[in-house]
Amino acid sequence: MKDFAPPADALPPPTVSEARLLSVLDTAADGIIVIDEHARILIFNKACERMFGVAASEAVGQNVKLVMPTEYARQHDTYVGSYIRTGVKKIIGIGREVQGRHADGTVFPLELSVGEAATPEGRQFIGILRDLRPRKESEQRLADLQSELVHLARVSAIDEMGAAIAHELNQPLTALMLYLQAIRRAHSRGIDIVTVVGDILDKAANEAERAGHIIQRMRQFVEKRDPERHVRPLDPLIDEAIDLTLLGQRHRIRIDRKTGENLPPVSVDPVQIQQIVVNLVRNAIEAASGMPDPAIEIRTRASDGSVRLEVQDNGPGIAPEALPKLFEAFASSKRRGMGLGLAISRTIAQNHGGDLLVDPGGNGRGACFSLVLPAASMPGEVG
Amino acid sequence: MRVHVVEDDAGVSDSLALILRNIGHTVISHRDAESLFKGSVPEAPDAVIVDLSLPGIPGAQLVRWLLNLAAPPRVVVITGQSQGFIDHQLRGLVPDGVMRKPLDVDAIARVLPPH
Ligand SMILES: Nc1ncnc2c1ncn2[C@@H]1O[C@H](COP(=O)(O)OP(=O)(O)O)[C@@H](O)[C@H]1O
Ligand SMILES: [Mg+2]
Repeated sequence: MKDFAPPADALPPPTVSEARLLSVLDTAADGIIVIDEHARILIFNKACERMFGVAASEAVGQNVKLVMPTEYARQHDTYVGSYIRTGVKKIIGIGREVQGRHADGTVFPLELSVGEAATPEGRQFIGILRDLRPRKESEQRLADLQSELVHLARVSAIDEMGAAIAHELNQPLTALMLYLQAIRRAHSRGIDIVTVVGDILDKAANEAERAGHIIQRMRQFVEKRDPERHVRPLDPLIDEAIDLTLLGQRHRIRIDRKTGENLPPVSVDPVQIQQIVVNLVRNAIEAASGMPDPAIEIRTRASDGSVRLEVQDNGPGIAPEALPKLFEAFASSKRRGMGLGLAISRTIAQNHGGDLLVDPGGNGRGACFSLVLPAASMPGEVG
Repeated sequence: MRVHVVEDDAGVSDSLALILRNIGHTVISHRDAESLFKGSVPEAPDAVIVDLSLPGIPGAQLVRWLLNLAAPPRVVVITGQSQGFIDHQLRGLVPDGVMRKPLDVDAIARVLPPH
């Protein structure tokens, strides 16, 4: 393989017009590097000096590998070599994200676009570089904020369901207490309970387990985790989320659940998808609760390349004037509603490459919300 | 004493029956108000324990019906709901006892003493 190390002889000093050009380049906010076809640095502007912590006087004449992490540097020789041999462009005129290396060893993301110029001294390549760290940081901050908000909405949903969940916990605790007290009483009165005590203890243990499950379900839902992606069948996730929503629901409601056949799996953050289901089912229950025979239907089905979840209620539907702002945050018609549910649900759906749609119903028909998620291409765990 | 228990939660209903028998009562369990109506009408000196959150006919409605009987049985309400919910449900109704879950045997024995 050919090596692009600089030859021992130094480059000639810049001419007057070159000096003027250099001072112009030095005013540029972007880093600008010009190299010759041996990858030797001809021009290294002020922005580059700051970006890489190398003085121009030191950089000029050296191979451009100077500002690349070792991995890249090795590939770069191959790139330049193969381009000059074959003319196949890998980066020229395209621009892409690469890694740069500061003199202190820090490796950082750069946006690099490369142009080519034919000069009397031969081919030259002009690279324009932009440090991507500030942009990456603000993207990261935005992503962090968004996942914070999604998490907060989950906490707030559990908070709103707090009384209902306390009620649900009361049931197994009541049973547990009574089973234990029954044994205690019999014991202290010297009643022979040998034949039944095992049975009662088993029941007591079941009730303790039931209480544990409720806590576990809640905890999984509210715990803060980094976003993730798993390839999963959708239906079990939905069923779990329905269970969570129905915890301690004091208005008993008819729920008709229909699962589609041969649904392809989806690649999802399971808890975030459950968050959508909890929001939709709670809304549906609240909408239908004023009806004489409240009922909701929850269906899943495959529809070309995607999986759909539909939550249909028999409530009043959505008023036409509420429709334009329906998915906006803080749009709520409820006394205690935050109006975050649908806004966050749609954001989550779209982050998954899907969407959340509504058929507003009305005139005797309830609303129907559809969560559409793209089918996962590959089975098996990802990420 | 004969005690009817109207409670839809299987665990609560079963454990309650156990402890009531333990205290010395005869227990008849019902999953909802509808199934209580299918049997003979409870009357004094029987007692009926009613869970406020029942599927179908609401617990409070059953309480009202029982208290309006010619020879009303003792009516004891059990619930895991908040005081606000209880007050709202029982407006104007005065059952013989209200016990909040989790229940314990002493509270039960106080309202429905063994004889
Ligand atoms: N199934 C539904 N039927 C009728 N109206 C609905 C339904 N789902 C949502 N809405 C309306 O959309 C509003 C916003 O819902 P959401 O974003 O979940 O916030 P919140 O439930 O806190 O009000 C609700 O206040 C309600 O007016
Ligand atoms: Mg909501």
